[in-house]
Amino acid sequence: MAERRKYKKRYCKYCEAKVDFIDYKDVAGLRFSLSERYKIMPRRLTGNCKRHQDMVATVIKRARAAALVPYTVTRKTVVTAPFENLK
Amino acid sequence: MRHYENLVIVKPTLTAEEIQASVAAIEEVITSNGGEIATTNTMGMRKLAYPIEKNERGHFHVIYYSAEPSVITEIERRFRLNEELLRFVTIKYDTNREITAWNELVKKAQKKAETSKVEEPKAEEAPKAEEAPATETPATETPAQTTATAE
Repeated sequence: MAERRKYKKRYCKYCEAKVDFIDYKDVAGLRFSLSERYKIMPRRLTGNCKRHQDMVATVIKRARAAALVPYTVTRKTVVTAPFENLK
Repeated sequence: MRHYENLVIVKPTLTAEEIQASVAAIEEVITSNGGEIATTNTMGMRKLAYPIEKNERGHFHVIYYSAEPSVITEIERRFRLNEELLRFVTIKYDTNREITAWNELVKKAQKKAETSKVEEPKAEEAPKAEEAPATETPATETPAQTTATAE
């Protein structure tokens, strides 16, 4: 007997949109692959394919270096949401 | 020649003119080293995701240019010496896919630059329209007050 799938089938959001390149300055687009604490979400939760997950990971790291996305969010720094001042 | 992109964060403590001057100096560094600037994109004053050198905000500026790969070390060395710069991020666009993305980004930045030029005079008109009724309202209120005090 085939084991029943426990979770709904996940698909790669980026593959569906046929994304070839992600811009690190587009922070709102990166929000999908970031957790509440701005950690990079694992592939098993977002359903990203390997190719796009690699792209997302490098782009998020670039955005962190450019101070667009925080490295860490602690209880002290959680007050400021960096996505608010997007134009 | 290879395609590059530089994001530059200038100190927020400078005045608007000083920021423009330092941005021009940064672009001068690239052009003097043989880089050809395609477009620039000013993202303006933004809040940083984390404080850099105790600064909470910064002036973001993006420069798209093409240059020889050997020049980049020199450009980055000059950036490191510049004390008005909080942070710079250099990104290489190497593969064919990335180069097409670079061209699209340049187009987008050019469009944005054109639209911002058009919008500027509109933005100046808007506050004037708001000022006109604001000046009228106190004029209408004051006679009512004077009559109240007269009674």
